[in-house]
Amino acid sequence: MSTVSRADLRRRRDLRFGVGLSLPAVAVVVLLLGYPMGYALYMSGFSWNDKLGSYHPFVGLGNYRDLLVDPAVHRALGRTLYFSVFTVLGGVALAVLIAVLLNVEFRGRTLVRVLLLVPWAVPPVVNGIMWKLIFDGSSGIMNTILLGTGLVDERVQWLADPGLTMNVLVFAELWKLLPFLCLLMLAGLQGIPTNIYKAARIDGANGWQRFRRITLPNLRGPIMFALIVQSMWSLKVFDTIYVLTGGSGGPAEGTTTINFLAYLTTFSNLDRGYGASLAVAAMVLIVLVTLMWVLLLGRRREDREEAR
Amino acid sequence: MSATTAPRVDTSAGSPRPPGPRPRRRRRLGTVGHRVLVALLLVYLLAPFVWMLVYSLYPSSALQQARPDLDPSLLTGASYARLLSDTSFLVPMANSAVVGISTTIICMVLGSACAYAFARYRFRGRSTLLLGMLTVQAIPVIVLAVPLFILLRAFGLYDRLPGLIVTYTAFILPLVVWMLVGFFDEIPPSLERAARIDGCNRLQIMVKIAFPLAAPGLAATAILAFITSWSDFFLAKVLTSTSASTLPVKTAAFQGLFAMDYTSAATAGVITAVPVLVLALVAQKWIIRGLVEGAVKG
Repeated sequence: MSTVSRADLRRRRDLRFGVGLSLPAVAVVVLLLGYPMGYALYMSGFSWNDKLGSYHPFVGLGNYRDLLVDPAVHRALGRTLYFSVFTVLGGVALAVLIAVLLNVEFRGRTLVRVLLLVPWAVPPVVNGIMWKLIFDGSSGIMNTILLGTGLVDERVQWLADPGLTMNVLVFAELWKLLPFLCLLMLAGLQGIPTNIYKAARIDGANGWQRFRRITLPNLRGPIMFALIVQSMWSLKVFDTIYVLTGGSGGPAEGTTTINFLAYLTTFSNLDRGYGASLAVAAMVLIVLVTLMWVLLLGRRREDREEAR
Repeated sequence: MSATTAPRVDTSAGSPRPPGPRPRRRRRLGTVGHRVLVALLLVYLLAPFVWMLVYSLYPSSALQQARPDLDPSLLTGASYARLLSDTSFLVPMANSAVVGISTTIICMVLGSACAYAFARYRFRGRSTLLLGMLTVQAIPVIVLAVPLFILLRAFGLYDRLPGLIVTYTAFILPLVVWMLVGFFDEIPPSLERAARIDGCNRLQIMVKIAFPLAAPGLAATAILAFITSWSDFFLAKVLTSTSASTLPVKTAAFQGLFAMDYTSAATAGVITAVPVLVLALVAQKWIIRGLVEGAVKG
């Protein structure tokens, strides 16, 4: 009887201690992110353009209704989709291949793995500058190389053509994000016992079959995590666009993703209400995409856990 | 002697290889192909940064020719000397350092306590809160930029370092908690139970037992927090103008819409990147572990 109550008392003290420890951090995050979030939702309910004076009538969901039929938003969504498909799906696929490449025993493997952290650690602004130095139309080294080897006859205006600029952006982002994805996949690969591969080889499975039947299924956890996290990052890309395009999202709005459109609307057009609704829409998009991945891939994981 | 020779007896017993030179040649060819691919990967990883480094050390006229002139006699540190003696560059640099260090300390104090509680004590709402910490990653900063701007101005913190520190803390703290929970989860609870029997109270157990055992993880997390703070561009751009401006904002300013001072931009880029590169490489082992922890946990 007394032991039960003592255990009870201890549990209650444990609880008080645990809650007390976590409360400050939780409070900081909830207050400092919750209040601005609420304020953003509030602003999105107004027709509120600072260029048009201080009068801002309440329009309810009017801004959201507008953005659903706004052609500029549709174009931005298309670009966001293009950018995300290549950086998320392309990124994860390339990461798996590179990880397989690096999972083989060879001299200097540790060094290569450490050097993976270089692109990861380079600040996004610096990433933008780096690629600008390479792809600049008049003085970039890419044109120097292409001209020097005779692959092109005249300078390619990488950053003056909307489509090309978007592709340079995808390329630049891939450079920065691949290493993290590779490290995820490498960690996953290391969890696979090598005798499975040996056994498969004895059974006559070729390289592709081993990859398809052993490697991929075992990487499901890391791949799912990578898809979710990279989707979040790709859908809210900003810094690289800003530096690569001089803050314009150009040329000819060619790199204006939904997130960047929210920025331009808010800070160039000073349209706070519409900008806030665009930003909220970008967030909703991220949540929806995350849910999509969880629904698509999560069920299979449950199946696997049940089987275990 | 016999022990060393014993394993030489065919290790792959049971998998009779077809005789002949083909498999071996194929394997050697595979190795060569593998080396080539790894070498290409290395070039891909390093070349962009190396080129920026070169740009910062040569006069741009030497590089912007049909055949870039990399004669070592042209090497010059003039660009570095100019930037590192320019107060309009040094002030943002100092700001970045102050903001980064302060943010890291605050995040580590609040975050380590919170993560320890999450890892050790089960209470209602714990997993919801933990998931919420990850959900913060889904919020595009642009959503909060204007409200934060208004909020900081109301408190007189716009364009001041404390305003930036508070903002970064809010954004980085969830990441810190998420990463540290992983590290604390790895410490076996038996050690802490033993300390409790020895008469340590909960706080003593946390500070004297758990924290030292998680030291590498704490260090890696602190470095990650610093890197995140140091690298931020958008919030610093929106929440500061001149006096509290940070290094990434200053660096980005070297490239305008139409004109760009290439050498200065490259130099500023190198100076911005080097501190975080050094930190990342020094703590690489633990950073890699901390980064992939969440994924491996599933």
